[in-house]
Amino acid sequence: MKTKNYLILCATVTVAVVLGVLYVPGLSDTIEQVMLVFLATNAR
Amino acid sequence: MGVLRIILQIVGIVVLILAVTIITLRIDNQDADGPSILFPGGKLVSGELYAGFEPDWSFTDEVQTIELQLVNPLSSRTIFIMESDGKVYIPSGYMRSTLGRIWKDWAFQADEGDGLAVARINGVRYERQLIRVKEGPVLDGIVAKMATKYNPGATPATPEAIKAGRESIEVGNTWIFEMAPRGAQLDEN
Repeated sequence: MKTKNYLILCATVTVAVVLGVLYVPGLSDTIEQVMLVFLATNAR
Repeated sequence: MGVLRIILQIVGIVVLILAVTIITLRIDNQDADGPSILFPGGKLVSGELYAGFEPDWSFTDEVQTIELQLVNPLSSRTIFIMESDGKVYIPSGYMRSTLGRIWKDWAFQADEGDGLAVARINGVRYERQLIRVKEGPVLDGIVAKMATKYNPGATPATPEAIKAGRESIEVGNTWIFEMAPRGAQLDEN
């Protein structure tokens, strides 16, 4: 992928992730629970 | 060269998604009235502010997590709570690992600062002072409560489990704070 297209993809992904985390019901809780399990497993 | 470029681009997208997710959650929570599951929140605003005699903290046996806000720096997080011998305590684990130091930065701030805190339990706010407990026989009761409350398979806590938990505290892997009344000093024992 050319640099210009890649940067457009990055910008699109960024906007999609922000909107998803903020507005999709339950998504942020699910992500945080997965992160909590990851930390509890790997922070030893 | 083309394959390496594609691999790096995929890695870049994955890293970007993780970073944007963490930053978004962090910013979204930082001024909220309380923490989320993992990310710190802001000042605890809602809920009655408790005034009166020291409560009977045994009701916290039915409470899995509380919201704890430090006064300085002002931020709040979700945390376990244990009552033992009429006093109430909170733990902070993984304190000797790199990830733990990042994750539990509040514990360092409480230990090095004034320890002033507000706890919101069942919607009621309690003004407290965090005092770190590093040693002493009081740890046995705290560890026993922590083991039975948060590891139901360990009911009742075995002497081995209590010994291991106490050692974890004494070597600094797990930190315990008493949520004492404001202005209290650590009992010498």
